[in-house]
Formats: sequence, structure tokens, C-alpha cells
Amino acid sequence: MNVTSAGVGASPPKRAHNSTWKDGALANGSVVSIALFFIVVCVVFSLVTGSFLTTPNLLNIVRQSAPLLIVAAAMTFVITTGGIDLSVGSVLALTATLSAVALQAGLPWPLVVVGMLALGAAIGALQGFFIAYERIPAFIVTLAGLSVIRGVALLITGGYSIPVEPTSFFVNIGRAWFLGVPVPALLALVVLAIAYLAFNQTPFGRYVTGIGANAEAVRRAGVDTRFMTLFVYVLSGMAAASAGVILAARLGSGSSNSGQGFELDVIAAVVLGGTSLFGGRGTIIGTVLGALTVAVIGNGLILAHMSPFLTPIVTGTIILVAIWLNFRLFKGATRSR
Amino acid sequence: MMSDGETYRVRMTGISKRYGPIQTLDDVSLNLKPGEVLGLVGDNGAGKSTLSKVLSGAVIPDSGTIEIDGKAVSFSSPADARAARVEMVYQDLSLCDTVDVAGNLFLGREPRRHVLGLPFLDNRRMHDQTREMLDRLGIVIADTRLKVENLSGGQRQSIAIGRAASFDPSVLIMDEPTAALAVAEVEAVLDLIRAVSARGVSVILITHRLQDLFLVCDRIQVMYEGRNVAERRIGDTSIEEVVNLIVGRKFTARSARASRDEGVQP
Repeated sequence: MNVTSAGVGASPPKRAHNSTWKDGALANGSVVSIALFFIVVCVVFSLVTGSFLTTPNLLNIVRQSAPLLIVAAAMTFVITTGGIDLSVGSVLALTATLSAVALQAGLPWPLVVVGMLALGAAIGALQGFFIAYERIPAFIVTLAGLSVIRGVALLITGGYSIPVEPTSFFVNIGRAWFLGVPVPALLALVVLAIAYLAFNQTPFGRYVTGIGANAEAVRRAGVDTRFMTLFVYVLSGMAAASAGVILAARLGSGSSNSGQGFELDVIAAVVLGGTSLFGGRGTIIGTVLGALTVAVIGNGLILAHMSPFLTPIVTGTIILVAIWLNFRLFKGATRSR
Repeated sequence: MMSDGETYRVRMTGISKRYGPIQTLDDVSLNLKPGEVLGLVGDNGAGKSTLSKVLSGAVIPDSGTIEIDGKAVSFSSPADARAARVEMVYQDLSLCDTVDVAGNLFLGREPRRHVLGLPFLDNRRMHDQTREMLDRLGIVIADTRLKVENLSGGQRQSIAIGRAASFDPSVLIMDEPTAALAVAEVEAVLDLIRAVSARGVSVILITHRLQDLFLVCDRIQVMYEGRNVAERRIGDTSIEEVVNLIVGRKFTARSARASRDEGVQP
């Protein structure tokens, strides 16, 4: 990788050359490696099962993985700042149960949806306050959140799942189809498009990356880094709340036990996509591929009549191998520091 | 020779600062003309860094006055100093490794374009302006889209200096800009210092690399245990003499006292 090592002050560097697709691939090694994994997994399941590569099944995959995609997009922002949000599964459960409770109490569905998003934002803001302003590590704050919020959901429902009236318009959020595509998939697509633009094309996205790389530099540049840090938790709280609403609408009930381990799937998808847990490095495209890979493995193993209990084993193995390959194959792209 | 009535860019007089029992700065003065490069040297603990922090607003002195362009100022924060166009180069502290060259130069003041009222980065304008800025300062970097982590130490230092210079400062303070750089890179950073001062920026260079002083500085001020002990024009001195002054055989050279009398104290 001599591309960048020409010294300053030397006459125009001869060792530099115009970047080629190969440099691009190396620089985005993490995205390329997860893309390869995704393709390999898809090809394998297409060959092994006849029903994998059919339109209904593919649409089913995106429908089922919509909550994962939405929360993973927000989690990419959180992890890129160097933080983590372990509470998303619990927020999902709380908003799923509360939306069922609110609908049973007769509240109109638009109010329920807006109320849940506001609740998610408020929970995120509270956790973000402790993380950004009180400087308590994100892992601890959101671990506490994971416990408390799940506890509140259990307390409200007494552990039972609460049904949503199937005639309510609310269930359309999770079940309806629009232009031949499931509504949850469309919602996920909109969220991902916004996340991609915000991450790559706005000052906010730039500061999120900067905070993960060197928060002090961003602060000295006159940016309110504490508010930015708080705000990414607001985003993940809102994303988890919308995932809870979509899940309750699709399943037609709100269960305080839903979303157990969901935070780990989300983090797996983000890390698989090449976002660094140390912060400063993130990609939305990688996250999308990571989330879809996790979803495809679960779906494909069932279609192949394998035990569903193989899913966590295969997913875990792929996470390790993908990141190992990333370290090995694409090591040259960046200087290790 | 210095107090001939012309306006100084910076004029610090009688600066004192005490931390507990230690008198870090004791009646220190510092004068700087427009476009001048002043080398500030001294052993560790001589007070160079504290003096530069006083000028950059990070340390508030117990007594003493600071004048900038003839006007008395008092800094209570780095923001005050920045408003008076005094910039300090914070080496690695000011760079984000995983952000590209242009992004680092424009961190916190990115050119924006508004789409539907929402702020988006104007990447093309940012990269064009970066290219222009790098060319003007003679900083050689092939691609403004390179991430800073892929640059050499000298290139990184150049970006940090370029960023500080882009705020259009009248005084630029650099603390050890050439520490831990390869030979060719030191040359490039020194060239950059010359380029910046040629544009009328006064530079204070704090360094332990005495050979660098003789390449870029117009004048050297030596500090010892919180006081300034000597001041030399670069043509009138040698490395041997500067070394002697730094290690504290300060009164052996008669010229030191003479120069101090006519130079530092008005």
C-alpha cells in the first residue's frame, strides 16, 4: 500500500496512482467481505432448497427482518460514536405491549404510533443524558435500561401477551401490502435511505464518525459533541419503538417477552457489516448486508429442513469468520495503529 | 533594536504565574512582530508551554499584560484568544483518523447546501477548497479523499497546521511540530512554517530540535526556570551558545545580558 506513503514536500509523489476499483475494494474491505458472505449464503440456499429463491420467500424475508433493519440502521450511528445500546430489545418489548394496551383502551392508532415513537425518543434521551452528560459508560447505562425497561413491560402485562383487535387499522402497519411489497419492508427501506443520507451526506453523520474517532477534536472544532452523542441514543430509542410497533402489528399482539436477545442480533448485524465497535468507522450499506445475512441464514436453515437451533450456531460462526477474514484479507487497506 | 516604536503583533509584559509553591512564570516578557518566526526554547519545566498557553487563553496569568496589535487584551478562555486570531496547533488532538483530509480541514464548518431546508455536506466545494488550500500552502497530498489515518506523521502534522492556518490567524503557536518526524518530513513542515509566516502570520515555535530553529526562526528566546534569560537574532548566535543558555550557564555569556537589556525589556 504505497499509495499514501509519499512524503510531504517531495515533488509530486510518483508512488501514488489514481485509485482503481481494487483500491476501492480494499478501502471498503469490510463491506466487500460481508457482500461476498451474503452472496455465498444466498447461492448455497438457492441450490439446497427449491423454495428459497422465490419472490414470496424473499419478500417474506424482508418483511420479517424489517425491525432488525430499522434498529440496526440506528445502531450503526450509536456504535460509530463508540457507544452501544443494549436496551433496544427491551424498548421493542415495552412499545409492543404498550401499543396493544393503548389500542385496547380505545386510543386511535395514529396517536398510539406517535406516542410510542415519543416514548422511544424519551427513553433514548434519558439514557443519552447519562451517557453524554454524566459520562457513565454506554454499556452500563443501557444494560441498566435493558433490565428496567423489560421489567416495566412485564409489570404492565403481568407476563401475559395482550391481543390487538384484528379489525383495527393498526395491524396494517405489519401486515398490509402496498404495490406488491409488504408495508414493513417499505418502512424499512425509507428508514434505511434516510439513514444512508444522514450518515454519509450530512454534517451530523460526519460528526458521528468524528466523535468515534476523536471526540476531543470534534469538540475543539466547536461542535456540541454531548448533544450529538445524546441524539444518537434518541435515534436508537425511536428505531426500537418503531420496531416494536411493527412487530405488534404483524403478530397482532404485544408480548412483554418479545425481542429477547434482539439487541444481540442487531449488534451482530452492525458488526458483521464492518462497523467498528471501537467507533469512528461505520457503514450503513454494510449494516444492511449484515442484517440481511442474519435474516437469510435463519430463513434458509428452516427451508432446508435443518434444526432451527442451528441458526445461532451458524450465525455466530459466520460473524467470527467474516471478521477474521476482514482482518486478514483487507488488513493492508488501513495502517494498523 | 526592538523597541523602536513600531507596532508589535504580540507584546506580553511582566507575565507571572504561580502553581502552589512553584513560580512557573516569573515576570516574563515576549514580543513578536508581524510575520516573524520566534523560537521559544528552554529545558523541560522552563515555562515555555505555560507561556504559550497564556497567549492561547488556556492559562490565566496571575499578573502581567498582553497587547495584540497595540491593544490590551485579557483572555479568559481559548475562545477569547481565537477571537483575537491567536491559534494554537494541537497536533494529533485536532485530527479525526477515520475522516478524510478535506473533512478534517473543514471539521465543524463544512460547506453546506440545503435541500428541502435540511443541511447536506457540499462535498465538491469542500474538496475543491481543500485542494486550493493545500496548494497554496505547498502541502503535497495526492488525494483529498484519503483518510487521515493513511497519511504519514508529517502529512498529518501539515494538515493540523493547515487547519489552524485556515482560520486566518495573526499568531500561530506550534508546540513541538517536528517531534518524531522523518528527516524529509521535518523539511516539509519547516517549509510550511515559512509559507505561513510569508503570508504575514507571526509564528511562535516551541521545539527541542535546535537545528530546526536555525532553519526557520528570525529570533530565539531562551527561558530558564520560569524567566526569560536571553534573546538572540538567529544570525548572531550558534547552537553551542543556545545549548549553554538552555542548560543554565546563563550569566557566563556577557552578550546574553546585553541582549536581554536591550531586547526583551522595553
